[in-house]
Amino acid sequence: MSVAPVEDVEVADRSQVETPWVCIVWNDPVNLMSYVTYVFMTYFGFPRAKAEQLMLEVHEDGRAIVASGSRDEMERDVTAMHSYGLWATVSRSQ
Amino acid sequence: MGLLDPPGFRRNRHGHLWMHLQEGERTLLTQLLDQLGELLAPPEPEQPVDPLEELVGIDPAAVRPADPALARLFPDAYSDPEAADEFRRFTQRDLRSTKLEHLDLARATLARKDPTRLSDEEAAAWLGTLNDLRLTLGTRLAVSQDGPEPFLELAEDDPRRGMYLVYDWLTYHQDRLIRALDRGMPR
Repeated sequence: MSVAPVEDVEVADRSQVETPWVCIVWNDPVNLMSYVTYVFMTYFGFPRAKAEQLMLEVHEDGRAIVASGSRDEMERDVTAMHSYGLWATVSRSQ
Repeated sequence: MGLLDPPGFRRNRHGHLWMHLQEGERTLLTQLLDQLGELLAPPEPEQPVDPLEELVGIDPAAVRPADPALARLFPDAYSDPEAADEFRRFTQRDLRSTKLEHLDLARATLARKDPTRLSDEEAAAWLGTLNDLRLTLGTRLAVSQDGPEPFLELAEDDPRRGMYLVYDWLTYHQDRLIRALDRGMPR
């Protein structure tokens, strides 16, 4: 029986590599605040408080990061946001 | 839900979703949905369509729409124009189909007797379609965060005034629908 070497550094690096992309939702003057909250709850399954907080961030700061993950996952999320009529983009995590 | 209730979407105490509209509202919504359908209709392909590309949903001719309302309905997914265009070629056809499916489902419910009970799928279709209508009108009107004032100050015969009233009426209905759907969500 052998013990796998502990590779702290690699694990830390991998988490960076695995989540380098984000889904950003942008503010727009048409979508209702209640609608944006509803979409965040329905699609992402966020609890109401978190959905409202993100909606307010979009409204007040002009944008909010609503998800992070692989590029494929973020493209899927952005496509879903577009199907709901929200304005969203995929971007590399800063 | 009775005929004397205010028009709109509503979830009753049994948890069922109902749509109640006045005759004139049904007529106007039908016209608006027809217009949205024309706007969303795919352009005639200039090249013969590759059946394999069509099968997997790729549209090699997809570009950022020149019409600002369509560009809002099909926004760029990347700030980099090249990445945005490439993404479009793989996704725009499906997004268009989704919007047209919503529109068809919603339009079919308008042909039923009033008040009309809606399935969850039909209510979701109405939510998407009402939003597409508001995005379209909102873009045409250049609606901003300033509220209704700029439009209420327009001359009586300015066509944007009537368009804004329709936009505002759609907002009322969408807000009612969100409230009705929200009653089925955790507090």
